Amino acid sequence: MLLVLGVPLVYSFYYSLTGWSLVIPGSDQDFIGLLNYTDVLKSSEFWASIRVTLIYAVVAVSLECALGIMFAVLLNLEFFGRGLFRSLMLIPMVITPAVVGIFWKLLYEQDSGVFNYLLGTLGFEPVPWLSLTVALASVIIMDVWQSTPFFTLIILAGLQSLDRDTVSAAQADGANALQVFRYLTLPHLVPYIMIAAAFRIIGVMADFDKIFLLTLGGPGNVTTTLSVYAYNTGFKVFDIGRTTAISWIYVVFVLAISAPLIWRLFRGASVNRH
Amino acid sequence: MAISSRTNRTTRKLLWTLFWCVLAFVYLFPYTWMVLTGFRHGVDTISMPPRFIFEPTLAGFRHLFEVTGFQKYIINSAVVTILSVVLVIGVSAPAAYALAQISKRGGALLVAILVARIIPGIAIGVPVYLLATRLHQLDTYQALVIINVAVNIPFAIWLMRSFFMEVHPTLREAAISDGCSEWQVFTKIMLPLVLGGMLATSVFVFIAVWNEFLFALILTTSVSPTAPLAMLGFRTQYGVQWDAVGAAAFLVSTPVIVFAFIMQRYLVQGLTMGSVK
Repeated sequence: MLLVLGVPLVYSFYYSLTGWSLVIPGSDQDFIGLLNYTDVLKSSEFWASIRVTLIYAVVAVSLECALGIMFAVLLNLEFFGRGLFRSLMLIPMVITPAVVGIFWKLLYEQDSGVFNYLLGTLGFEPVPWLSLTVALASVIIMDVWQSTPFFTLIILAGLQSLDRDTVSAAQADGANALQVFRYLTLPHLVPYIMIAAAFRIIGVMADFDKIFLLTLGGPGNVTTTLSVYAYNTGFKVFDIGRTTAISWIYVVFVLAISAPLIWRLFRGASVNRH
Repeated sequence: MAISSRTNRTTRKLLWTLFWCVLAFVYLFPYTWMVLTGFRHGVDTISMPPRFIFEPTLAGFRHLFEVTGFQKYIINSAVVTILSVVLVIGVSAPAAYALAQISKRGGALLVAILVARIIPGIAIGVPVYLLATRLHQLDTYQALVIINVAVNIPFAIWLMRSFFMEVHPTLREAAISDGCSEWQVFTKIMLPLVLGGMLATSVFVFIAVWNEFLFALILTTSVSPTAPLAMLGFRTQYGVQWDAVGAAAFLVSTPVIVFAFIMQRYLVQGLTMGSVK
């Protein structure tokens, strides 16, 4: 594992110091120092992709958190067929992301898509889902659809581990439902929410398949996240030196955000239901 | 009094059931629509208004197998996934057992796993591609299997280690004092006890490899592309055959959904790498 993952990383660091481009023969010997890094850090495309990645990550994860808590609370109520609904709500989470991407493209089609048809029957104007202004929001909606069940599942596990006696005692002391939720349930759920969010933040920053299949990063570069940007530089422009520099900046960026988060979770707040 | 409170409770349960029927219908609509598209004539999908009631057909599936040659993608996916799962479990099970005995915290292992998990695939995409080119391994099963195994082994070891640690340590000590070798303890006592956990781990690896897209995109062209890659083919096609796309989407997503249902009990533990049980 160290070999298969470590060797490419070391190689890539070496390449990132060269001017190697697959379309220029012999350029792999050009040692140019940190020029690739300064180039990337100066390019507006790079900063645009950082911006897209951050907006996508922050908005999607917040929405997923909020919806996830809501669904979990609702799935924790008493009703018939609860087990069945708990299973059904998992479906979006496990569907192959590439399939989700291509399929949401059909749903989003401006003239023949079913979303715009449904909006039409409700009396709304059709939305140009994959246009310059809306595409990023559409990508976020698609991810919220797929990833909310992940939050639901973990938060539901948290709800099930909540001590019922404490809740009954609080109710006997005259606490209303809202107070119980605010002062008992929510604090109890915090570690579960943190764990779900930490894993999702890692996932969201590496997301590629869905976005690539839905928009290819376009139109223009409004949905070009860091991962799509790195892919395009590597496999469309074939600029190896530059792509590997982007990869390294990418790794540092992702590690800086997620490593402390995960480390704290596993050291401190991991929760067991037993 | 008691009767009326019971009927109240039943009414409330019924109302929430109704509420969930509506919510699940709305939320799962994209999925339902996808499945329906696979069983509907292509023209019915893009006609306006879209047909909700239609004559079911297998034309999409027929197109998929007779024109697109989708069986090749499915077979590739099956080969790569099964080989990867077998290799990952074969390597991780003994490793996880050993690690479960050595340390209770596993700091270094955790670091390795987290780093492997955090590094985005695309960050090693270019060097992996160049390495595969140099070794003449582009577009082969083994290249895909090796990268999938490497990516999934740390996670599998970590998860299985937590299952081994649930077995009470006195069991191993008793067996050893009865004259069992370490290997016998592992195969005769431990493996049967953690079978459920091992199956769950296999399913997680299965889902991860089956759904994998990026490395398949980078490393394959015509011989060994997997099923998720076929989706990209549909996208670039001019005049998309939506019934065939729906059929393909149904075929690709069904195995993972079925597996997830079967393994639901372990899902939370697997998805959070054991941090929530």
